[in-house]
Amino acid sequence: MKLLRLEFFKCRRRKIALLCLAVLAVEAVWIVTSLTRQDAEDLRQGWMLLLYNLAMVDAIVMPLSVAVIASRNCELEHKGTTLKLLETMASPGALYAAKLAWGAVVLAALLLLRGAVFAGVGVLWQFPGEVPWVRFGLFTLIFWVVSMMVYALQQGLSLRFANQAAALVCGITGSFLGILSMLFPPALTRCVPWGYYGLLCLVRMDWNPETRFTWFFWRWPEPADLALLCLWAAVFLTVGRALFVKKEV
Amino acid sequence: MNVIETQDLCKQYGNALRVAHLDLAVPEGCIYGFLGPNGAGKSTTLKMILGLVRPTAGEIRVLGERMDRADRLTVLRQVGSLIESPSYYGHLTGEENLRIVQTLRGVPEKNIREVLQIVRLDGQRGKKVAHYSLGMKQRLGLAAALLGYPKLLILDEPTNGLDPAGIQEMRELICSLPERYGMTVVVSSHLLSEIDQMADVVGVIREGELVFQDTLNALHGCSRHHLALRTTNNEVARGLLAQKNIRCDQEGDYLILPILSDEVTALLSRLLAEWNLGVVRLEERQKSLEDIFLELTGKAASL
Repeated sequence: MKLLRLEFFKCRRRKIALLCLAVLAVEAVWIVTSLTRQDAEDLRQGWMLLLYNLAMVDAIVMPLSVAVIASRNCELEHKGTTLKLLETMASPGALYAAKLAWGAVVLAALLLLRGAVFAGVGVLWQFPGEVPWVRFGLFTLIFWVVSMMVYALQQGLSLRFANQAAALVCGITGSFLGILSMLFPPALTRCVPWGYYGLLCLVRMDWNPETRFTWFFWRWPEPADLALLCLWAAVFLTVGRALFVKKEV
Repeated sequence: MNVIETQDLCKQYGNALRVAHLDLAVPEGCIYGFLGPNGAGKSTTLKMILGLVRPTAGEIRVLGERMDRADRLTVLRQVGSLIESPSYYGHLTGEENLRIVQTLRGVPEKNIREVLQIVRLDGQRGKKVAHYSLGMKQRLGLAAALLGYPKLLILDEPTNGLDPAGIQEMRELICSLPERYGMTVVVSSHLLSEIDQMADVVGVIREGELVFQDTLNALHGCSRHHLALRTTNNEVARGLLAQKNIRCDQEGDYLILPILSDEVTALLSRLLAEWNLGVVRLEERQKSLEDIFLELTGKAASL
């Protein structure tokens, strides 16, 4: 807990809150713009449409956002060559865990706030039916886990390379592959870490080419996909941590 | 008691042995000057002592405890360090930087003010470290090292980048630490003059090997006066000197003799003349510390 508190202390003036608000603002503008283009018929399935669009926007926005958040937190250790001081007071493993926990808290706060904001958008837009709180909660939880998997990859890169360009290029690539993978067959999407935003979405779309009618329906994520997600996260975490602990400063 | 002891300490990078079979012994309460040219292995050795770099072979004991990876942090609670450049968070103030170290070390908050006063940064504590000069950053690094008033302080090239006034100030501060706080200080440098002005005990490292380790007085002892004699036939002269029990060494064209009394020198010149040996040169010489450093390290001393 002491190390986690210190991570927040170290990130003073790093404009992390502003960065999160910017991510939220981009998503809000995107979703609201998309909703204004829908007619009343489309909005009959408003909640599903919202979560479907949100997953799509996340697939584009979150990989890069997560890369930037991780980079903001890790870069300061390289800039001030602080690891050679910190590692005389705390073990490298504990430092790595504290940074990961910091990312988990920041992403949880961002996604919870995001959930609340878009639930509010749905209420204001007067989507039919009650707010699907359980689906919203589950959606937030699943996307937090996906974001943490991506965060584990990004933290590993940001701590490994002093030049943050490597991590940011990975984030940009992730944003590109994240949305592109939604067009891949599921088996291929599973091989793309950023593809899990689309893969684990709670809403699926059915589009009839003849009637040109779009229909959304609820679905539960495949257990195998959840297991694969955990596997990806475990691999990124284990490799990233091992490289960090092994590195001599 | 030795505060630091290493036995047969080695560090290999690829095929190159950067630190070779090092047996350091740092006595308690002294200022230990760790001297060597750039790239000799000083920083690597100090990092191994702190557990930041894993030794390839050998054993390290700090404050009587073995520095195994597992419990090294317990030992390091009593050790302050400043390795190479100072570590800092540029976007935080000096005081905030020290608060991080204070929290990690678990020492009283009042120590922050005290160490800021010791390094004379109390007037700048609210300023972002990114706006500090290099000298101020160096002093902040020293303040962080001093924060827990450790028994052992390891400073790697602490005067790097400082102006002459800053060097003088840092030197005075380091020299005062053993007496004021009972600390043992290990200070590394490639500057002979710096170590000469600070250290009680000196270790000289060359290409990873410890080539000298003793008190500074013993190092100065190596710089004794001697006579250099050159004759028309040094071989015969050497034999005559041996007959008179005068020890001498050949060094180039010269025979190097200890300082002799005037009577013995006069007797020697008469003896050489009797054997028809001409005295071409007879000089009184003194080895400077730089000469000794040069001999020990095989490199020009940085002055």
